[in-house]
Amino acid sequence: MQAEERAVTGVPGFDAMLRGGFLPRSANLLEGAPGCGKTTLGMQFIHYGATHGEPGLILTFEQFPEQYYRDAAGFGWDFRELERRRLLQVIMSSPEVTKADLERFNGRIAGLVSNMGVKRILVDSISQFERMTDDPVELRNLLHGFLNALRREGLTALFTREAYVLLGDEQREEDETESSMSFLVDSYVMLRYVEIESAIHRAIIVLKMRGSAHDTHIRQFEIGPHGLVVQEPFRGREGILSGTPQYMAESFIKAFVRR
Amino acid sequence: MERENLANRAYTGDIDPELLDFLNQYVDSFIKWDLMRFFFNNPHTIDTVDNIARYAGRNPETVEQELAELAMRGLLEETHMGTLVVYALAADPEIRDQLARFIQASEDRQFRIRAIYHVIKGGY
Repeated sequence: MQAEERAVTGVPGFDAMLRGGFLPRSANLLEGAPGCGKTTLGMQFIHYGATHGEPGLILTFEQFPEQYYRDAAGFGWDFRELERRRLLQVIMSSPEVTKADLERFNGRIAGLVSNMGVKRILVDSISQFERMTDDPVELRNLLHGFLNALRREGLTALFTREAYVLLGDEQREEDETESSMSFLVDSYVMLRYVEIESAIHRAIIVLKMRGSAHDTHIRQFEIGPHGLVVQEPFRGREGILSGTPQYMAESFIKAFVRR
Repeated sequence: MERENLANRAYTGDIDPELLDFLNQYVDSFIKWDLMRFFFNNPHTIDTVDNIARYAGRNPETVEQELAELAMRGLLEETHMGTLVVYALAADPEIRDQLARFIQASEDRQFRIRAIYHVIKGGY
């Protein structure tokens, strides 16, 4: 049996980490601290699809669509033109309306899937679902239903989610959405800020990818004039996800010599 | 009365007839104008009164009636989804074109002054 074609993200270096891209009709979580590049990576995924035969939707629960048009233009992506050509639509809504829309027969999103041939969706951000309930079981059911509805529509979905820590080793309370989402999604990608020699760097890691091999290195990435570019793994350091990595030699000394 | 009509014409007489029709048909309050600008800038918004009010930075009680009236006049679409009532910009390309013309015309200060006067006077 031939393997299905991947949903290529168009992010240099990231597709190689995913062994070619996301699996089609999969649900993918992109988690990271504010400003670390989640929405940019999401827009890049949608832009690449829209310009390579896979029209897309951006479902925003926070930012105004005009902010996406402006930010995308900064990377040379003309979202207004893509909307005019019916290759993209930036929808502003709320989780409760989206849920109600997906639950009814032939709702707005289903209509766009059939009329525009939509294949990809960016949901920015899934964190807004937390407003709907305080009950973790109900939240998990809501998220499960939402993910399944998007799968039913045949969409490859990318969900962004805020991590409420800037660097990795800060204390935090139990995070219900994170534990629910990480089980429900097919892949789980984390973006992190990392402090090295008094400078902030950005790191990306694929923590999970159901049904596929993936790169397990923690890699650096930059946001350049044309979007994200994933680079080499961090070498000679460990504790990257703590946000304050150390040279391996330092760790060795701490562990064995200074006892 | 005659003098007032003349004054009105002095302000609105130069408005393109199509834009004047649009003003008469849809724009009878500044909240409606504001909502139209919001939907023009974010044309694929679909949401409840409460959320649209939040996006527009307005009070839901103030916005509710205005959204309902814009829907009645055909500029917006009102949809019932279970217990939710949601509003979106009408899909009709002609209405969207008219709205675009109005918002673009509003960029011009002279037009804006005339249109503001028109709204304050409640049309004629």
